[in-house]
Amino acid sequence: MLGSAEFGDAVVVADLEAGIGTLTRLGDEVVDVVLAVVEPTPKSIEVGTRAVALAREKSLGRLVIVANRVRGAEDVERLVAAFGEVELVAVPDDPAIVDAERRGVAPLDTAPDAPAVQALVGLAESLAPVA
Amino acid sequence: MRVAFVGKGGAGKSAIAGTFARLLARRDGPVLAVDSDPMPGLAFSVGVPVTDAPIPDEAVQERAEGEEGPRFRLREGLTAAEAVQRYAAAGPDGVRFLQFGKLRGSSGGLLRSQFAFRQILSSLPEEGWNVVGDLPGGTRQAFFGWGGYARTILVVVEPTAKSLLSARRLARLATVDPPPDAVVAVANKVREPGDVELVARRTGLEVVASVPWDEALADAERQGRAPIDAAPDSASVAAVASLLDRLGKVS
Repeated sequence: MLGSAEFGDAVVVADLEAGIGTLTRLGDEVVDVVLAVVEPTPKSIEVGTRAVALAREKSLGRLVIVANRVRGAEDVERLVAAFGEVELVAVPDDPAIVDAERRGVAPLDTAPDAPAVQALVGLAESLAPVA
Repeated sequence: MRVAFVGKGGAGKSAIAGTFARLLARRDGPVLAVDSDPMPGLAFSVGVPVTDAPIPDEAVQERAEGEEGPRFRLREGLTAAEAVQRYAAAGPDGVRFLQFGKLRGSSGGLLRSQFAFRQILSSLPEEGWNVVGDLPGGTRQAFFGWGGYARTILVVVEPTAKSLLSARRLARLATVDPPPDAVVAVANKVREPGDVELVARRTGLEVVASVPWDEALADAERQGRAPIDAAPDSASVAAVASLLDRLGKVS
C-alpha cells in the first residue's frame, strides 16, 4: 500500500511490525525516513543493527535512531557506540508514557509536557518543520 | 512438559520463557528452548552465548523429484533427537537452544532451516524432552503451525490497553493442530492490585501467574543477561517459579 497509493501532500506515518520482517519487503523510494526505535539493551541493539544494515542496503531514505527509554548519558554512549554516525534522537525513560500506556490514552493528549513527549515533538519538528 | 509463550511484542515473553526454561531444566531434566521469532530475544534470556543457532544447511536435504512430503527435511538418517544434540546451542543448567534462523537481510535463506525446525518439533520424542517455546510477537504467526508442539499456550499480557486487546485476539486464534490442552494467561509487569483481575476479565483467560513489575528484570535486560543469573532472588523470578509449580501440578 505504501508503494502504490497516491498520498499527495499528506504526511504518512507507518508503524511497522516488530523486528525487520516488513522492512525486508519494503520497496525503495516508498518512504522518506526510516525511524528505528531502539532501547539501550543488547537485544534491541542487535535488532536495530540489522534494521539499519537493511535500510542502508536498500537505500530506503534518511535514517534516524530513536533511542527509547534512555536513562542517562551512559545509555546514549552505548547507542552511539553501536550506531556510529547514524543520526540519533534520545527519548528519556518517562513514567508519563507508562501511565498513558496503562490507561490506553495518547501521551500527547494526557502529558504534552512530559520529557519523552517533548523529545518526540522535537523529532517531529525536525522531520516536518512547522511553516 | 511442552509449553509456548505468546503475546504482543514487548510484553515480556522472552524474559519469562527463558527463566521458565532454566527453572524447568533444574527441576525436571532436559529442556529444549525454541525461538521461532526471527529476531533475537530468547537466547539472551536463557543465557546462551549466541544470537544465531539455526540448523545448518548440510543437515537438511531437499525432497527428491516425485517424492511426497515437505520440500526440505533433515538429511536421511538424522533423527530429531540427534539434530538437537548436534546443532542446538548448549546453555546453562543443561538447556539446549534452537531457533529457526534469524532474518538478517532482504535475501531469504531461512527456508531450509525452518523446515528442519518444524520437523524437529513435530518428531522429537515427548519422553525425555521438555520443550519451551517463544513465539513471535503479535498475532500473525503465532498459531500458524509454529506452536503445534505446545500442550499449554501461555499468553503473556501486560495490563495495558494494547496488550489486553492483543491477548484477547490471541486467545481467539489459539486453534493449533492438534489443539492444546490449555490456553491461559500470565499477567506481566503487574503494578496495581486490580491488574490481575483486569487481565482475567479482558482476555477471558484464566490467569495462572502474576509477575510483578520488577526493576531487577529491566536491569537484566539492559545488561543482556538472563534474569535468573542477574537477579536470581528477584520477585519476578520467584513468580516464574510459582508458575512452574502451578503447571507442574496441573500436568
